[in-house]
Amino acid sequence: MRCNKARDYISQELDAVLPPAATGKLRDHLDACDECRSYREDLALGQRLIAATEPQLPDNFEWKLQLKLNQALQDAAGQTSYRWHEERGDRWAWLRNFGAATAVGLAAVLALAMFFGPLEQAPTPTGSRPAVAASDRRPLFQPGAGGLYRPAAQRMVSAGGETMGRTSGLLDRSWSGTNTGDLRMIQRLRAENQQLKAILLQYQRNTEMMRTRLDTSAAEALDLQHDQ
Amino acid sequence: MNPSRDEFVQGSPSARRAFYADVRDEDLIVLVQEGQKKAYDELVARYKGRLFAFILRMVKDPTLAEELTQETLIRVYIHAAKYREIAKFSTWVFTIATNLVRNKMRQRSRRPYTLSLNPAPDEDEMPVDPADTRADTTAQVERAELGELINEATARIPEKYRIPFLLREVDQLSYEEIQQVTGLKLGTVRSRINRARNRFRQLIKPMLRNETLLAELEQIEMRAVREKELGQDDNQDDN
Repeated sequence: MRCNKARDYISQELDAVLPPAATGKLRDHLDACDECRSYREDLALGQRLIAATEPQLPDNFEWKLQLKLNQALQDAAGQTSYRWHEERGDRWAWLRNFGAATAVGLAAVLALAMFFGPLEQAPTPTGSRPAVAASDRRPLFQPGAGGLYRPAAQRMVSAGGETMGRTSGLLDRSWSGTNTGDLRMIQRLRAENQQLKAILLQYQRNTEMMRTRLDTSAAEALDLQHDQ
Repeated sequence: MNPSRDEFVQGSPSARRAFYADVRDEDLIVLVQEGQKKAYDELVARYKGRLFAFILRMVKDPTLAEELTQETLIRVYIHAAKYREIAKFSTWVFTIATNLVRNKMRQRSRRPYTLSLNPAPDEDEMPVDPADTRADTTAQVERAELGELINEATARIPEKYRIPFLLREVDQLSYEEIQQVTGLKLGTVRSRINRARNRFRQLIKPMLRNETLLAELEQIEMRAVREKELGQDDNQDDN
């Protein structure tokens, strides 16, 4: 038997797993080989050293373990409830949040708009806007004549000495009564109105003429039937 | 054996140990699954030392070894419900510990390291010298110092040999159990233990010829036997 094989057997012998058939062979080899005998003694001594120097745990090990265990259990419980919330939060949660945020934002904007409101000021000939004192600001829905917003029938604006009803929502936003751009727009709308009126009149005339022709042809047709 | 809650003895750790003395690990973990915390305490008492010894000799850092031992035992409690008696409890516990140690060592190896401008000789090639300051055997060698030397020697065994070696030498696991823990073939387990022993012998060879150290070893062994006898006497008194 070679020494390498014998040393493999020695290792198995130390662990008490060497087959009985190999035990005799190993014994024969050890009787003849000093080195392998020394090897076996060293391994046995190494085992004794390991066993004798088993490291000692700190005294407070179990106390620290208990603390960590409690923490781990709390963490595990926390994770569970967190997951539950995640599962509960459906896929439309973001939309609800977005809707709520939008509603709050709009309410805030509306409140600010109602508080500050548009400014009422007298038209100036030059068109330039004078500085407005805080006392000139007027509340929106004041009863009587003082409120800026009145029922549609009462809402009138003054432009170039004429009075006209406001029909366009677009004008509400920027109308001041002093801006020349506003006056030009009124003139343009008037011109368009005139043109539309003319076109409408023409259509009415044509319609009337066609109706007359239709009546005449219908009467002739009836007369022909009677003749036959 | 499966003691009921009525049979359970509330008392000191020694009383608990006496009560559970004949209960197998596999039965204790079943009791833990049923919610008996004292059964878990008994498992901790049985395994904490073995786990710590194994992990310390793997990682060489006592603080880290303590943390990993605690982590292993915490996992045993938290995942107790997952244990099935298809393997021995010890195999399951050491599988958890081995995986934790491997992960930790992998993390360590990924860390960036610095190179010294004064290259030292490869430590793995140097045997542990009992004549150096850490192993002053001419003075009274403390058990802890000797343990440190052994730890250092085992830490120099390559990891793939060290795990089966320590599972066998420190934790007394059988070859079959080591096979289950490591996932190696039985023949590989046997050959790796053999190689590790050979390597360990080379590393501690200077210590093995040191008469003072051998005398200290005998004293330590005698003290351990005496402590064991005293412990048994205490248990009998408690009963």
